Amino acid sequence: MSASGRAAVSRGVLLRLREQLEFTKKGQELLKMKRDHLASETNKLLSKVAARERLDSRLMKAYECLKAAYLTLGYSGLESQASTVEKMDVRVRPKSIMGVIVPEVVIEKEAETSSLSSPSAYQAASELTGLMRELIELAEAESRIESIAYELMMTNRKVNALERVLIPGLMELIKYVEGRLEEESLEEFFRAKRVKQVIRGSE
Amino acid sequence: MSSPSIIYLVTRTHGRRTHLLPHESLKAISRSRSLPEIVDHLLRSDYAVNISRIPSEELDSVRLEKIFSEMLVERLFTVTKDARGGVKEFLEAYSARIEVENLKRILRAKHAQEEIEEDDLIPLRREHTLVNFQALTKAENVEEAVSLLRETVYASITNKLDSYRRLGSSIVLESYLDNVYFNRLWEGMERLPGVTGVRRLVGEEVDLRNILLILTLKRREIPSRLAEEMAIPIFYRLSRNVVKSLFQKELIDALEALSGTVYRPVAQELLKSREPTSSIETVASKHLYNDASSALNDMFLELGYVIAYMLLCEREARSLTTVTTALDLGVPEASLQERLLF
Repeated sequence: MSASGRAAVSRGVLLRLREQLEFTKKGQELLKMKRDHLASETNKLLSKVAARERLDSRLMKAYECLKAAYLTLGYSGLESQASTVEKMDVRVRPKSIMGVIVPEVVIEKEAETSSLSSPSAYQAASELTGLMRELIELAEAESRIESIAYELMMTNRKVNALERVLIPGLMELIKYVEGRLEEESLEEFFRAKRVKQVIRGSE
Repeated sequence: MSSPSIIYLVTRTHGRRTHLLPHESLKAISRSRSLPEIVDHLLRSDYAVNISRIPSEELDSVRLEKIFSEMLVERLFTVTKDARGGVKEFLEAYSARIEVENLKRILRAKHAQEEIEEDDLIPLRREHTLVNFQALTKAENVEEAVSLLRETVYASITNKLDSYRRLGSSIVLESYLDNVYFNRLWEGMERLPGVTGVRRLVGEEVDLRNILLILTLKRREIPSRLAEEMAIPIFYRLSRNVVKSLFQKELIDALEALSGTVYRPVAQELLKSREPTSSIETVASKHLYNDASSALNDMFLELGYVIAYMLLCEREARSLTTVTTALDLGVPEASLQERLLF
């Protein structure tokens, strides 16, 4: 980027440009820190998402238990057994991670299966109840990753814009202003010398 | 020598037995690949009348389950109608298992404050029960439902409300209903002459019910003293001490202890299973129904024959329900065969 002809050249402008560069560099550092933090948060969440495959196989097992309960009790029998289960209570609240709003799922009450009198229904309910917590954690991790990934992409763009466009532009401008100021001071020095020579010659 | 009324009843039951689906038909039905195929088989049996009332496009496994339950109720109460005197009372008490199942369904729903309608119950005609199910389904909570049972044989269930509240589980009330049912049955049986065969089938069912309860409660953190209170206090081939020790042992130890009793086949089957608690219902039912099946030959002219027939009616209804449900859920044939009760 050419900075010539854009800025007024004065010591005040140079000072302001230097302050601006300092501020931009600090901003860049902060954005880099945010990016690193979001990346490490994503890495942590990725390990949770990796459990999906294991969850899939556990879900299949739970589903088999549920089928076994249906076969043993029939639809009406299992429906009646299931009516004794006190449902799980879940609340979703927003949480901020480096300014990114992500959902936080709070399990306020676990499902209560102690009134199930049929062993096959109890087995199926135990399998499913154990899985529900993990499924909720997985859903929470996946939606967090989605929000964080978007923010990470935006932060990366900002860091790149600062690193490749704004900071080099400012540095070039400062260099230009410094050059112009140096030229001006040299001119001033030369002018003073010439004036002295003229005064001495006339004497 | 049995009384003429018992001979009449047993003879009628011999005739009725021929209406049960033969083993080969049940096998063929279990191998069916679609509901219409099952319906085709059933249209050649007693189920034809009930099935043909419903348009074929509306027939699904839920409707069929209801039809199987209706047929079971009809069969149980037709036998009861043929009996006289003490035997009739006994058979009425025996058929009350449907009433007990409905009461359990209502209490479960009231416990969880869920709505329940008469349609969710096994269809039981008014003449076959003294319990007002319509009022019970409208009860606000367990307490109100229990108070509505004051004028029935289950009146003493109100004494269990404290235990129910303390434990916060409807199992207390369910097990008490079983207690009332089997005690009434056992007392009724004691008044009848020559009931060795009946005692064998009812006693075995009580023992198996107690084993089921023990294994059900094993996985819950219920104090063994409280759990022992829930057991049916009738000990046929399992002594009181064995039942007590089963309650106190760990699951596998309890099953090994059970191997030392006449219920060794049940224990062995469960020890082989990957999930003993979830297969106990099938294993215990299979054991009971197999015994009922052999009782048909051993108790040819006894009242036990009638009880065996009633148990086999139940097996047929449960087996057909299992087959139609399996088809609906796409259960592979091998898994289905493991769960079948015949």
